[in-house]
Amino acid sequence: MSEELKNKAKELLTNKKVDLIIGYQRAADGVLAAPCFIDSQDDAEKLIWDSYCVYNLASYLKDFPAKRKGIVVKVCDLKSITVLLQENQVKREELLIIAASCPGVIDEKRLNPLDQQAQEIVFAGKCKTCKTITPAYYDILINEPQKNDKLSEIGQDEYEPVRKLEAKSIEERFKFWESEFSRCIRCYACRQICPLCYCPKCVAEQITPGYFSKGVNLEGNLSWNITRAMHLAGRCIDCGECERACPVGIPLRDINKKIEKEIKELFKYEAGLSVEQKPLLSCFDKSDPEDFIK
Amino acid sequence: MLRIAQKEELQKMIDGFLADYEVIGPRELPGKGIFYQPITNAQDLYLGERFAIEPVKKFFFRPSEYLFEGGLKEGSEFLEGIPLAQNKRMIIGVRPCEARGLALLDKIFNTEYKDEAYVSLREKTILVGLSCQAPGKDCFCTSIGGSPVQARGMDALIFSAGSKYVIEIITDKGKDIFDTCPKEPDKEEIKAWESLKEKSNAALRKKIKIPESLDNIFESGYWGKVSSACISCGVCTYLCPTCHCFDLVDEERKKLRCYDGCAFSDFTLEASGGNPRPTKMERYRQRVFHKFDYFKKNFGEHLCVGCGRCIRHCPVKMNIAEIVDQAPV
Repeated sequence: MSEELKNKAKELLTNKKVDLIIGYQRAADGVLAAPCFIDSQDDAEKLIWDSYCVYNLASYLKDFPAKRKGIVVKVCDLKSITVLLQENQVKREELLIIAASCPGVIDEKRLNPLDQQAQEIVFAGKCKTCKTITPAYYDILINEPQKNDKLSEIGQDEYEPVRKLEAKSIEERFKFWESEFSRCIRCYACRQICPLCYCPKCVAEQITPGYFSKGVNLEGNLSWNITRAMHLAGRCIDCGECERACPVGIPLRDINKKIEKEIKELFKYEAGLSVEQKPLLSCFDKSDPEDFIK
Repeated sequence: MLRIAQKEELQKMIDGFLADYEVIGPRELPGKGIFYQPITNAQDLYLGERFAIEPVKKFFFRPSEYLFEGGLKEGSEFLEGIPLAQNKRMIIGVRPCEARGLALLDKIFNTEYKDEAYVSLREKTILVGLSCQAPGKDCFCTSIGGSPVQARGMDALIFSAGSKYVIEIITDKGKDIFDTCPKEPDKEEIKAWESLKEKSNAALRKKIKIPESLDNIFESGYWGKVSSACISCGVCTYLCPTCHCFDLVDEERKKLRCYDGCAFSDFTLEASGGNPRPTKMERYRQRVFHKFDYFKKNFGEHLCVGCGRCIRHCPVKMNIAEIVDQAPV
């Protein structure tokens, strides 16, 4: 599959269809993958495609304004591009989408920390409940998509962790999140890795007025993590990059999934399904539930 | 000075320390990793080979701390310092690279300029290290003046040797706390300890070359190329045992000092709106130059201890060791 990708990339660069290709290369350790930016035929040799290609490369699109960008995407990453298109953050004509059939990606955090060599591939949580196999749209498709039997076990509930949390009492829930957020170091990796966190000035950086403490304390950490999640309400497509990037293992996907679930139940809305659908929080529908207005 | 103790004896000693000290050490949080936390008994300690995610830096140069409070009280102005550390602390299980990181931070916070908060925490704390026997694949301490068995910056260093621990006592503070452990290793045990040290050093395989100076490649296109994957987050700087940049913020009537890092786009943003480091290229170059060029010129050694945290935890696998090793000088 990597060969097919390399050949396509060379062709695209030779024919000047794109200025650069955002893809994956082998990391310096020889095992994992790292993002790469290819602008010459020779460099196209570096491109790889396998289960180690965990990153959602859509967050790099903003780094190359006014360039024709080829981008290698998985099905889940494509949804974030859909939201970016919906929100007019990228131009479709500047994009050449290379959709790759996804074998499921590894759970980086489950690798042996001493050698990081996976004995047996442990798939990321998001892959285990991934239902989409065929990308909604693309310009080039690398290999026919196939369902990986090891993934997507039929009947597996993607909201299971959320339901477990919902079953707790408010006090227990608060204690749980208090303990998780107490480890937050405010490195903002969750924000920086997120393709949909593109505000030129983040609320966390504002000091006049400061909306919440910059300090690593319960108030600041709670406010930051909840604000981040709420700002992605109706937009997050669950690529799981925030949780993967978090160095201290805060289960950020659980918050994102909770909001996603509420929105699905209330508004029958799912983010990133089509460019044409109107963004949930920027439109109004008469049939929207309003029971909360008392 | 060397001592030797059975594993259970050391555990008993640590339980004894709990009466006089706040004891902090690595603990394993299942599924999350290793974190330094206060312990309540010696069983809590994780003394295996895995590294804590955050270095012990945070117990001296804190992620955020209030420095002073000032304002108007009953019509007159006041300025009060926040009380300094009072309690005796002991941190057990510190890795050689992290302790060396503190020795480097001392050059910033405890020489010409004395940072009261930092200095008081340093003075109140005893550091008991733990040598590394299976360094990670991202570790490169031996390329930068360190080693998995180095005791610099510590009061004592523990080596795990089968069913026993060899304790190397470095300072008077270290001597005081281990005076309850009278047994000295015999000739055989010393020989075994020396070969253990050799083995530990040999187990660290990653070697990199560090250029004498980076002066003539400041303008090189190399920095643009190697920084392109950087997402400008704070993982590398916050988890680094030697990064020490901070921001000062006013919160209510208190002055808060919190970590800041050169990777953030607003790190050098000026009030005018100008930014001397507008792109990732300038910011990443700054990080490399501060660590592998400027600091050496000012303080005689590099501001990196080769612990590999910035590599291990980088969300996009930026690898500073490779980047420095391959710098086109």
